[in-house]
Amino acid sequence: MGMIPLDALEVGMVLASDVQDRNGRLLLGGGAELTGKHLMIFRTWGVIEVNIAGAEDLGYDAKMPSDVSLEDLAEARKSLDGLFMHAGLEYSFVQELLRLAAIRKVNHGVS
Amino acid sequence: MASPKVTSMTVERLIEETRTVYSLPLFYARLNDAINHPRTSISDITRIINEDQGLSACILKLANSPMFGYYSKVDSILKSVTIIGTQQLRDLALASSVIKVFRGIPKELLSMEQFWKHSISCGIIARCLATYLREGNVERYFVTGILHDVGQLVMCAAMPDAMTLTITSSKDNRQLYHLTERQLLGFDHAEVGSSLFQAWKIPASVYEPVACHHLPGNAKLFPLEAAVIHLSDLICQGLEFGANAEWCVSSLDESAWQRLGLPTGILETIVKLAEPQIAETCAILTEEI
Repeated sequence: MGMIPLDALEVGMVLASDVQDRNGRLLLGGGAELTGKHLMIFRTWGVIEVNIAGAEDLGYDAKMPSDVSLEDLAEARKSLDGLFMHAGLEYSFVQELLRLAAIRKVNHGVS
Repeated sequence: MASPKVTSMTVERLIEETRTVYSLPLFYARLNDAINHPRTSISDITRIINEDQGLSACILKLANSPMFGYYSKVDSILKSVTIIGTQQLRDLALASSVIKVFRGIPKELLSMEQFWKHSISCGIIARCLATYLREGNVERYFVTGILHDVGQLVMCAAMPDAMTLTITSSKDNRQLYHLTERQLLGFDHAEVGSSLFQAWKIPASVYEPVACHHLPGNAKLFPLEAAVIHLSDLICQGLEFGANAEWCVSSLDESAWQRLGLPTGILETIVKLAEPQIAETCAILTEEI
């Protein structure tokens, strides 16, 4: 069980719980196996992430894109220390922003 | 820490001086009146926009840009008015007019290219967030995002020496720029921008979020708008989309993020959605700068 963002979903994954749209309307019940059409409907109705059965076993790590090495990421994160010094790293919003900024830095090679 | 003020300038004097040099084109007031008048027809509005060639070209380009993502080509102002909507069009006209007003600002203190890149990115991110929040008029968020730091331009033009001092002091002391402004000048760019917009008779849905973009909790009338602009500003600072006098990421007001009620996972989606729109929108809006 684990929340997986829409972009990382694949056909054949099994829902661990119901999927609802932003207004709480039921789109697809827990236990269903995803098809291509489901993915399209999720996107249309603004679903952001869904709960997938056995997400850990699938080896999916939401925090780590596959094409970025740990060392590069750590280095990029370090170089951002100054920029984020006042931001409030105790909050999950800022942590996620820092993670995205670090990945962006690695991918774009900006120093 | 009370240090002597570096200038005797007050917000009121600053706005008074700025108003004599920079004013919104009369055209915007006419468009606004026409839109507010109950008996105006779509063709009346089209006629007013068509009179300003620069603006009509700009609106057509925006309507055809990825931001709107229509399937067929929007080739006339009449068509764009019906598709985009009159209220929304007024907001786009406001954004493009203000960018033009500040065209002649000296570039020594701030890079105009980077300044507008930050502002326009902030507008696009705010618009994306508003779309996810299922907000009605997302163009209002777009224009407020674009205008949130205009106070910096006013100060850049009217008090360049004091501003240079503030920027240097903020970097030397590793202190947030808007806090340094408050300390050294007694006011900050959010207050300046918002006061100018009030003097220009721009609605509160724009000037209040501008005033509160560092402290969204202070917004009384438009708390959601202020929260969205605050968060969009942080996102653009963190991802280094453009830059201005603020050299680091501002402090998060956690309650602003709580107000939106979105999971943090959405940030990645928002950035993915917004980033491809930035370059083209910047090119359209800052063409003549």
